[in-house]
Amino acid sequence: MLLRAQNVSRSFGALLALSGASLDVTEGEIVGLIGPNGAGKSTFFNCVAGDLTPTGGNILFNDVDVTRATPEAHAKLGIGRTFQVPATFVELSILENVMVGAFLRHPDRNDARAAALEVIEFTGLKAVASAPARTLGTPGRKRLEIARVLATQPKLLLLDEALAGLTPSEVQDAIALVRRIHAKGITIVIVEHIMEVILTLAQRVLVFNQGVTIATGTPREVVDNTAVIEAYLGRRHARNAGAHAP
Amino acid sequence: MFRFGIIVCAAFLLYPFFLPDDFYGRMAAEVLLAAIGASAWNILGGYAGQISVGHAVFFGIGAYAPLLIFTKFGLPPIVGVPVGILVSTAVTVVIGLPTFRLTGHYFSMATIAVAELIRLVISNWDYVGAATGLMGPAVARTWLDLSFRSPIPYYYIFLAVLACLLLLTWHLQRSRMGYYWRAIRAGERPARSLGVPVVRYKLYALLLSAGFTSVAGSLYSLMVGFIDPESGFGILKSVELIIIAALGGAGSLFGPLVGAMILVPLQTMTNSLYGGGGSGLTYIIYGGIIVLLARYEPGGLLDLWHRMMSRRAHRADVAAAKPHAS
Ligand SMILES: Nc1ncnc2c1ncn2[C@@H]1O[C@H](COP(=O)(O)OP(=O)(O)O)[C@@H](O)[C@H]1O
Ligand SMILES: [Mg+2]
Repeated sequence: MLLRAQNVSRSFGALLALSGASLDVTEGEIVGLIGPNGAGKSTFFNCVAGDLTPTGGNILFNDVDVTRATPEAHAKLGIGRTFQVPATFVELSILENVMVGAFLRHPDRNDARAAALEVIEFTGLKAVASAPARTLGTPGRKRLEIARVLATQPKLLLLDEALAGLTPSEVQDAIALVRRIHAKGITIVIVEHIMEVILTLAQRVLVFNQGVTIATGTPREVVDNTAVIEAYLGRRHARNAGAHAP
Repeated sequence: MFRFGIIVCAAFLLYPFFLPDDFYGRMAAEVLLAAIGASAWNILGGYAGQISVGHAVFFGIGAYAPLLIFTKFGLPPIVGVPVGILVSTAVTVVIGLPTFRLTGHYFSMATIAVAELIRLVISNWDYVGAATGLMGPAVARTWLDLSFRSPIPYYYIFLAVLACLLLLTWHLQRSRMGYYWRAIRAGERPARSLGVPVVRYKLYALLLSAGFTSVAGSLYSLMVGFIDPESGFGILKSVELIIIAALGGAGSLFGPLVGAMILVPLQTMTNSLYGGGGSGLTYIIYGGIIVLLARYEPGGLLDLWHRMMSRRAHRADVAAAKPHAS
């Protein structure tokens, strides 16, 4: 088992944002995580990546207890994450952004640069590599977010709405990128609103609502689950499907 | 670019040979000294983005150490330089670890509080001369006292120290350390998620920054031969380091030097115009520079220069492309 999150809870004052979420991920999987806004998906990612300390439960990564470890220790162990709102280093160039990630495994500058250039090529950012990161729009920043974390050579990658706000054709490119990342042997947990993305990518889906897991299964099973339809798809799926129809 | 560098180096090396009198020599030495202090501040405040308003603590420690060593033990003041560095770095760990939990303005305010507290302690501590301060050797006993009548030897000592500091900064800036510092400045949260041990790298920046600020303080008291709590530990000193760095461009290698070359002559001018009473005017100038920088050029003068040059290059490109297009 690569990741074993058991009964993870997190509260903000009186608000219980996450209440006893559990998730086991085996190496090589792509797991989808869905749920309406405010369901606790990002909070769960923050707990798994060490950005927030859970108020309850525990998290094992490769049988190492990482529940209370720092974010940098998580990165070192091989847990990488993107932020829902891209946290681009706007004062740095795109290459420099990726180099910051690459320095984790390559202390030498030239090695880090070479590794970063490889990732930049892989993620299709080569044409703009030396441009300041502030010149990127949201789709570019989402891609840079992925490139930067890939440069840290993660074993487990947590993608938090990395495809939100993209046009349908950009979504197709991004799906292809996720597939290529997966083909490299990187295990992925992906949070995404667009059902089509989850259906095409994920082998297994977890549904959150108000901080609790309300369903798990294959994408098909989840889509047919009545609790899910009520909590989430009933309101949203119709709208999303409408928005993405050609 | 390379040729430009050679010319600038030659200009700094040969400058003293073209001086009409010691007034300009002293001013040039002061420019270099200010550049050392501001470059030292720049490591923490510019590259790593942690705006310390308490660097006078390290400047003061560095300034007191040589004169204290001389007054108490009769040793050459220069022996105090490594002592100052040691004490400064020790203080760094004591104040760095708790204050680094704070970010942004809270960090800056904490550094002011610590610095003012230390200034008060020094002002009331008889062993270090309390409010009157300390004196250096009146006349040089040996050359080891580094007490010269002419400003020229100081000029070259300062130039050598500044060159070492800038060389080290240049090397760090292009290594992992420099990239991590800039990542921390740009955003601690994403930096940590990419594996940057933020507290450790901030501490490295603070250690280097404090050590070199202490050296700047030592060089100051070696040249002036006198130090008191206000000129060593006063908040005006901290503010001066920031303004010089920010004026030229914080987070750039030569920004502090450029800032010093503008601000120090400006200060000398106002001081000679208004006699010793110029210090009130200093506050006004500092305040004015802060307002102007914050409003129009947060990147400092070097940044403005780079942008103007790239705009010119861009215009030249466009002009060169036009005939082909038509
Ligand atoms: N840092 C925080 N402080 C207070 N409340 C928070 C914080 N982060 C998230 N929340 C709250 O926790 C709940 C879950 O948020 P989040 O995990 O971002 O949901 P999702 O990513 O599923 O949309 C929301 O009600 C949100 O307002
Ligand atoms: Mg979210």
